[in-house]
Amino acid sequence: MTGSANISAAAAAAAALEATNRGESVALVTVIAGPEPGAAGKRLIVTSDSVRGGLGSSEADAWAVDLARESLESRWRGLRSLEVGDATWEIYVESQHPRPELVIVGAGHIARPLAHIGSLIGFRVTVLDDRPEFASERWFPDADKVAVVDFAHPFRDVDVRPDSYIVLVTRAHEYDYDCIRELLSMSARPAYLGMIGSRRRVRAAFEALVSDGIDPRLLDDVRAPIGLDIAAETPEEIAVAIAAEIIAGRRGGSGVPLTESERVLRRVARKHESKKGAG
Amino acid sequence: MEDREILEAAAAAAREARPVALATVVQVKGSTPRDVGSKMLIGADGEQVGTIGGGCGEADVIETARQVLDTGVPQLIRVELTDDVESFSPAVCGGVMDIFIERTEGSLQ
Repeated sequence: MTGSANISAAAAAAAALEATNRGESVALVTVIAGPEPGAAGKRLIVTSDSVRGGLGSSEADAWAVDLARESLESRWRGLRSLEVGDATWEIYVESQHPRPELVIVGAGHIARPLAHIGSLIGFRVTVLDDRPEFASERWFPDADKVAVVDFAHPFRDVDVRPDSYIVLVTRAHEYDYDCIRELLSMSARPAYLGMIGSRRRVRAAFEALVSDGIDPRLLDDVRAPIGLDIAAETPEEIAVAIAAEIIAGRRGGSGVPLTESERVLRRVARKHESKKGAG
Repeated sequence: MEDREILEAAAAAAREARPVALATVVQVKGSTPRDVGSKMLIGADGEQVGTIGGGCGEADVIETARQVLDTGVPQLIRVELTDDVESFSPAVCGGVMDIFIERTEGSLQ
């Protein structure tokens, strides 16, 4: 542990941003209440291989570092208390993690609003196309990376990981076919893989893949046609439908309208009717 | 709004030597509008970044944030959002939230 001076909330914020931008997770421990009046606000910044700051007691530090490392793994956040002799510590632990990545393949009409929405909902956004005039930062001011690629190997410079969300919105199904083939040959499976297209176009891509000998079970997770059914028509609306499906995938949503899953009005009406019946 | 944007705003305020209060939901009970870890930044000029309740219980947080900005002493407050539904008060969202509020000093050290 280094330094006895306390780390301010702003310094902790800056350290968390610096680490997550580098692709590293970081846990933050904050004292909510401690044995001395000045204990609240003391802090630890913990990564898998480093510890900064201190809570004012080496025993409390050791205990908090263990909790912080647990949070790095499980993403658990919350309060915990520890008693050391007569002293009680209450600490809050949370961890910050690199943003998940949204990879948009095909830099056309849908990619523009989707890159914008992706950035708003917390993704690191990468846009790929084989046409330099489309894959330009000019059209994607919110994207973290815009690259010109060969669709035969579109993910050559992309680190596909279990927290990657991949959207295929290329201009032809032969490119979708190439992209899916390359993804299936990689070791990591993305969290989400969606492919745009009419039923006919999606079918053509799947048929090409299956007749190539690819096991259809490997294609089970491909979301195609992409997006939730909100009858989207314009590129912007389609981007919303795609983003909604991505959020549902990330957060575990069903995509069912809440009015149908909750049925609050029906419950109220039923309660009133049974009251009437009783009275 | 994601944590990240609040952290960016806190770091930016420190770079400009502008003290701000950072409110973090550290514990919840029942059905609360936001989860543990939700954050909000409150500036001395009333500037707000992020939300910890979307209108539910935020007035208490802002009031306490002003005190924290004045004194520099962190505070833990409990916001109860369990008013009677028929009161139409803003505190009918449900649940109880514990919120830790601290001042970020104008320094990145």
